[in-house]
Amino acid sequence: MNKETSEQHLEREVHKLAKEMSPKRDLWSGIERAIALSPQKNNAKGVGNKSTVIVPTAWAASIVAAVLLTWVSFTPNDTNLPNSINLASNMQESFEEQKQFVLASFGQPELTKLSKEMQTQLTELSKARKAIATALVDDENNSELLNLLRWTQKQELDLLKQLYSPKWQTI
Amino acid sequence: MDKSKVIDAQELFSVDPELEIIARAKQGDQQAFHQLYQNYHRRIYALCWRMLADKDSAEDVCQEVFVQLWQKINNFRGESKFNTWLHSVATNIVLGHLRKQKNWLQRIFSIEDQKTTEAAVEMNDDSTISTLDKQIQKLPERARLVFVLFAVEGYRHEEISNMLGMAVGSSKSQYHRAKSLLRESLSEYSYE
Repeated sequence: MNKETSEQHLEREVHKLAKEMSPKRDLWSGIERAIALSPQKNNAKGVGNKSTVIVPTAWAASIVAAVLLTWVSFTPNDTNLPNSINLASNMQESFEEQKQFVLASFGQPELTKLSKEMQTQLTELSKARKAIATALVDDENNSELLNLLRWTQKQELDLLKQLYSPKWQTI
Repeated sequence: MDKSKVIDAQELFSVDPELEIIARAKQGDQQAFHQLYQNYHRRIYALCWRMLADKDSAEDVCQEVFVQLWQKINNFRGESKFNTWLHSVATNIVLGHLRKQKNWLQRIFSIEDQKTTEAAVEMNDDSTISTLDKQIQKLPERARLVFVLFAVEGYRHEEISNMLGMAVGSSKSQYHRAKSLLRESLSEYSYE
């Protein structure tokens, strides 16, 4: 089939596509239960005009940082771990090494050349990590803080890897 | 007398029954809302199914669309056709689902070139699905989304680029990529 014919064939097939399809299971019963519990909202901004631009990173980082800082500030100290301050500083040292290793593996890129959103996200994560480390100095036995520290470190490393991986750069 | 020039008073003064149903649904009438569901759920399911390439996810998201429709139906002010507005709402929810399901960046950069072979295997047994639909489901994700939004749903590339967070040129090139893959697979299919 030559290109023109196949183009026409495709167009014909597109026009023939079914406008409707039937789901296999009954969807209404679930919807009915859900709407019985959820109130209708009064007129607000059009839901159909919601921005669909996909730049979640900076928002995600801000939310993560805010949640972490709140958690750091309000989490009660109710757990005991021996030598946790040493553990925290070991984790920090290990993290710095890993970070340097990651950056070196990507040829020591300049973080200032990243987009503002990415810089913001990295900064927020870094701030959150430092805030947790500071909180650990006063509350050295808090296992939740240690877990949070580990988690933020991992997020930061993952983001660096994601930012400088070849796939990202080819886009 | 030229019948085309006769004004149909009944038509002129009658209220669109659908608008009536919408108005009732806006006031919390669940029966009216059920009627809207009956009228539109197959179209919305088709949209979800084509965009998600997965029957189960399409059913879940279709439900989510109608739950959100119930909550936000008061946002519909009749500036466009209800069908158009509802499709726009549904499209946003489907894209939101895709983003939530997996990190969006990861999807685009890591999984984008993988073809949805699992879905394709499942669909090959379904004789009610057209050949073209089966081939659409096999397209890489971005190409599939652009093709469905442009060729089936009638969005412009500018709108699609906003929805998918890509350049207009990328939307166009993904569309051409999709067409090329579909032409190829359809011609292969016709020779079989």
